[in-house]
Parts: sequence; C-alpha cells; structure tokens
Amino acid sequence: MRPQSENFKELARKNLANEGQRKILNQFSLILKALRDASFTTLPDEKAALEKGRRIREDAIKNLPYLLEMFEENATKAGAKVVWASDARQANDFIVSLAKEKGANLCVKAKSMISEEISLREEFIENKIETYETDLGEFIVQQAGKTPFHIVGPAINMTIKEVSDLFNKVIGLPETEDPTELAKGARMFLRDKFRNAQIGISGANMAVAETGSIILVENEGNIRFATSAPKTHVVLMSIEKVVPTISEAAYMLKLLTRSCTGQRISNYVSVITGPKKAGEIDGPEELYIVILDNGRTKIYADEVLRSALQCIKCGMCAAVCPVYTHVGGYSYGWVYSGPIGAVLNPLLLGLDKARDLYHATTLCGACKDYCPAGVDVRNIVLDLRAKEMDGDRSFDAEAPPALVKIFYRIWAWVLLDYSRYKIASRIMRIVMPFVIKYGKASNLSDRLIQWTRCRDIPQVAPKSFHETYSELKK
Amino acid sequence: MEDVALFVPCLADQFLPEIGVSVVKIFRKLGVSFTYDKRQTCCGQPLVNAGDRKGARKVAKHFVSIFEGSEYIVAPSGSCIHTLKEHYPRLLADEPVWYQRACEVSEKAYELSQFLVSILGVGDVGARFEAKACLHESCAVLRQLGVSDEPKTLLKNVGGLDLVPLNDADVCCGFGGEFSVDYSNISEAIVKDKVNNFKASGADILILGEPGCLLNIRGYMSYNGVGGQVRHIAEILAGE
Repeated sequence: MRPQSENFKELARKNLANEGQRKILNQFSLILKALRDASFTTLPDEKAALEKGRRIREDAIKNLPYLLEMFEENATKAGAKVVWASDARQANDFIVSLAKEKGANLCVKAKSMISEEISLREEFIENKIETYETDLGEFIVQQAGKTPFHIVGPAINMTIKEVSDLFNKVIGLPETEDPTELAKGARMFLRDKFRNAQIGISGANMAVAETGSIILVENEGNIRFATSAPKTHVVLMSIEKVVPTISEAAYMLKLLTRSCTGQRISNYVSVITGPKKAGEIDGPEELYIVILDNGRTKIYADEVLRSALQCIKCGMCAAVCPVYTHVGGYSYGWVYSGPIGAVLNPLLLGLDKARDLYHATTLCGACKDYCPAGVDVRNIVLDLRAKEMDGDRSFDAEAPPALVKIFYRIWAWVLLDYSRYKIASRIMRIVMPFVIKYGKASNLSDRLIQWTRCRDIPQVAPKSFHETYSELKK
Repeated sequence: MEDVALFVPCLADQFLPEIGVSVVKIFRKLGVSFTYDKRQTCCGQPLVNAGDRKGARKVAKHFVSIFEGSEYIVAPSGSCIHTLKEHYPRLLADEPVWYQRACEVSEKAYELSQFLVSILGVGDVGARFEAKACLHESCAVLRQLGVSDEPKTLLKNVGGLDLVPLNDADVCCGFGGEFSVDYSNISEAIVKDKVNNFKASGADILILGEPGCLLNIRGYMSYNGVGGQVRHIAEILAGE
C-alpha cells in the first residue's frame, strides 16, 4: 500500500466534508463502545484486566529477542519452517518465490495488516498469481480497489448499497440490499478459490513461544479455510506478535475479542502448531512462518517508543479517538489508522513522511484508557515531537525551521522570570489586536487566524490575576 | 488550616483571572491558609506538548524551586497538575537531585476539586448558584488525573444548581493546545459536537475544570452565536 501520510491535512479536509461517512463513523463508534463495555462487564474487574493485559504485553516486548528464539525453536520442532525477513522486500521475495516453486497460480489470503504493509497481494498479482482476500471486509475493499478504512473493519465506511453495486459488477450477483445475501454471494464466489488454491496466506494474532503455535482469531471461518485447504500455508507475522505461554495468550484473547468487536470470544479461534501430522485429515502439508522486522527492531531499541509494539491490533483506540471518529481511516494515509496509526505510521515510514499524524492529536488520552495492551500513545506522541524539535535523525525527523526553535527558546526564557513574563503579557495586550486585524504575514499570526476561523479570540483580561491578587489581599 | 501554595495557570492568569479570584474566595471561606507566590509564571506544558524538552526542563526547575517549600500545591486545572505529576519527573530523570525534588513536588500537587474533596474532606463548600447546568469532564482531569467523582460531589452540593446529564461528557472538546490552531478544521468539528451535546442537554451553563477547554468551547459558542455560558467549576463553587 503506497503511503500517503504526508497528505494528512488534505485527506482529513476531504474526509471531514464527507457527511455520510461521518454518520457511519458516529454509529460505528457508539455501537462498538457499547458492545465493548458490555463485554467487559463479564470480567470481574475491568481495570485489573486491562492492567494485566498491559503487563503481559509489556513483559513480552521487554523479552522479545529471547521469546522469538524460543518461538522459532518450538515452531521448528512442531514441523514449521521459520523464515526471518528484515524488510518488505525480503518477505515478498521469499513468499513469491515459494509460491512459484510450488507452481501456485491461485492464492487465498486471510486478513493481515502486515501483508498490507508490505503490499504482498499486489506482488502476487504482479507475478501472475491470482490472489483473493477472503475476509468479507477485505474482499470488498480489494474488489473496490480501495484500502482498509479501519484495522478491524476495513469496509465499515461503505454502505450496503455500495457493496451491492460492487458485487453486481464484479461477481455478477443480482442486486440486493440484504446483507445476508451479499455475504452469501461472496462466500459462493470464494468457495472454489479456497478449494483450488495451492497456497494460503494468513497473518497471526499471536505467536506462542512455549509451544511454537500461531493463534488466529476470526468470525467468518475464512481463515480456517484458507489455512487448512491449500497444501501450503504461509504465516506472515511481525516480530512483536509473540507471547510467552498459552495461558498468557488465552488471557490476551479475552481482551482482544472484547476490545475488537465486543465479543467474549470470536466465532473461530485457531491454534496452529505445525503442519498436518501423520494420520491427520485436515491441514496444510507445509507450514512456513515468515517473521518480519521491517523497522520494528529499531522501535524496540527505544525504551519509550517500544510501547507501540505492545499493540494487539484490536482497533478500539480508533473507535474512541475524537480525531479518528471525525477524519476516518483514509486520512492516516497508510495501513494503520487511529491513535496507533498516528504513531506506528511515522515510526515505520519515517517521521518526516508522516509528521502530521503525531501532531494531529488532542492528547486526550482516551486511547490509553481503552487499550487492552497498555500502549501509551500520548507519551509516544510527545516523544516523537521532542525528537522532531531536537532534529533527532534516528527516525528521520526533520527539524523545525530555526524561527520556530527561536520562538520556543524565547518562550521558555520568558517563563523563567516573572518580570519577563509580565513584560511579555503587556506586549501581547498591545500587539495582539493588530496581529489579528492586519497580520497574515507571519506563521504566528497565521496560527492565530486559524483559531479565529471558528472561534472568537479570547479577550486578554484588563488585569491579570497576578495584578488583581494584590487588591484581593486587602 | 493547611499550608497551600496556589498556582494559577498562565491561561487563567492572562485570560480568565476570575478563576483565580474564585479559588481565593473558596479558600478564604473554608479557612484554608494559602500563599500565592508572585514569582510563578507557567508550568511549561505548552513546551512539553511542542516537544521542547530543553525549555521545559528549565521551566520545570523554576517551578519546582518556587513551589517545593509548601505542603500542597493546588491549581484550578487538571492539565497543569498532570504536567507536574507526569512530566516533571520524566523531564528531570537524568539529574538525580532535580529528579528527587520533582518527585516531591509531583506528590503534593492537586487539581482544585481533588484537593477540596480528597484532602480537605469537604464535599459541600456551602455555595449557592441558581442555574441548570451540566459538567464537561475535561480529559486532563478525568483521564490524566482520574478525577471524576470529586467535581460531581462538589456540584451536587451547590444550592440552587440543577445538574443535568451531558451526552458524551467524557469525550474531548477538541482543544489540544497547538492542535486547535494547527488542525483547526478538525478541532472545530470536535468542539461542534461538544456544543451540540450541550445544547441538547437543556442546561444553561456548561461547567468544566480546565481553562483550555473553557477558552475553546466559549470561543466557539460566541463566534457561532450559541446561547448559554461556559464556566469554570471554581466560579460555581465561589457562588454565594
């Protein structure tokens, strides 16, 4: 998926103007929050549960190198072939050449954000391997030539009518506004693809170090089909998916499905440990697990930023984000959207290519309150802004113009002494009305004008509290 | 009664001095012995949010050295208190002595309603304010400090105040400091929702505990000719 995060402002402006989409986003957020809250009441203590989730994920990320090696060892013992890919190119090259080696011309795909990140489907199609997304939402998105709107609900922004028109056009389904009929149409269309595909590709919700298992969570059954019918199953996972034990995985599963869709458990949970064994009827003959880094080791190396890797991709943060619920998923310009996208996209693409994402946040912190994995988006955002201000190139931050730095330097200097602060506030009182009235030349006055676009500028009090206080004392 | 250092955030000092005046009234009424150190300026939150850690560090030290002598630090703002509590220790983590001093300051910092209810144990300040009102739970107060029951308790006990529910009271108003100017169209869409919820509540007054939210929501309402008032909780609690 081609990154467009640089165009956040423009994309956000366009999406804000889309009234229909805004309505869907409102509904989506309202319903999901209610379902989620209801599902959490079945746990004895929501706060304690979230805290436990945070601890499990934080510890897993802390011990990442060790856990990954343990996972590799145990997955290999179970008969899987583990392949390490340092970037998108390596992962794509390996999977494409494997598919060719197996003589594959048809591939079924389960939903995987990592595959979007490395544009695997596009690579397959370029290499003349017919490839189908089999998750209903992703199938719609693929057929419509769009990109996922939300990490969990890739097509939530589309209306039934739009899907009906699309299915009529691409799979010849008679027009219907019955969602069950539409889903059935997609299922019938995909049935033969599952049966005839030589290769199935999935992501991984979790990888269990102690058993070498992959856990896949879904509601439609397409993942189980795609990972068991074809002779070769390729798992594409990123390095942070690993958890130490099955019991910790089971606990995270409780939090994942509740936060994802408000379900206590999803319709299907597959635990895949190695390929089909002797005497087993179902399952692939070969299982490959591609473990992708693609910039994550660098994130791991930073003690503040690594919290971003704790994310289990439930998508709840987006539903409670005041920015996401207004600008929608496309505005983020790349695979990940919502609060986690606001930090992951810059970290993976480079801060200079997604600068707006970590600035376009109110810092309200709702994402952190709802996160089942303890990702502290707020602090990561502030850290990225500090990296930018310092011109720290470790994540390709572009330092702000010298004038901005001088502006803040003066500001800090003013705050260090009340007499300077007082002079500054006097100057502000004199200058501000003129700036608002006449000044459009400077960056500063442009920012003031942005405020006044929809709000009255607050009147500076004739006397500050500081000055009033002396009179109050009497 | 207590040795309290009053911190009036810069936004309140410059734009909304009546908030500070109200806090003084409340303290006097309750017999709280307090001081207002005239060397105070700002906690440095705008610098933290802009990523200027060098500047923020200096301002944090200035603040710590002014306020560390008192038993309690109280401010009519959640976000400034959160800056002290969360960011000062982080900013000064590499300077052991300053880190220690910052931690001590952070431990005695309280948002106004939190201080009144949790420290003084006062749920009823004996205020009177005739109005139908609702409460916007500012993010910094609610989420960053975890303060929600305290303002509700205080407001419930205000004579004449009819407190009605506000839909999505816990959703951000779209201020976010520099966000409100750098992404003013998104900010506008968010504050519009807040104001629509306020209108739908049937209340005449929107009460909140954060000067930033106040300027944002009030500015939007007056620009768009929306009736009703936005007031800081201190002003309500100072009502007679």
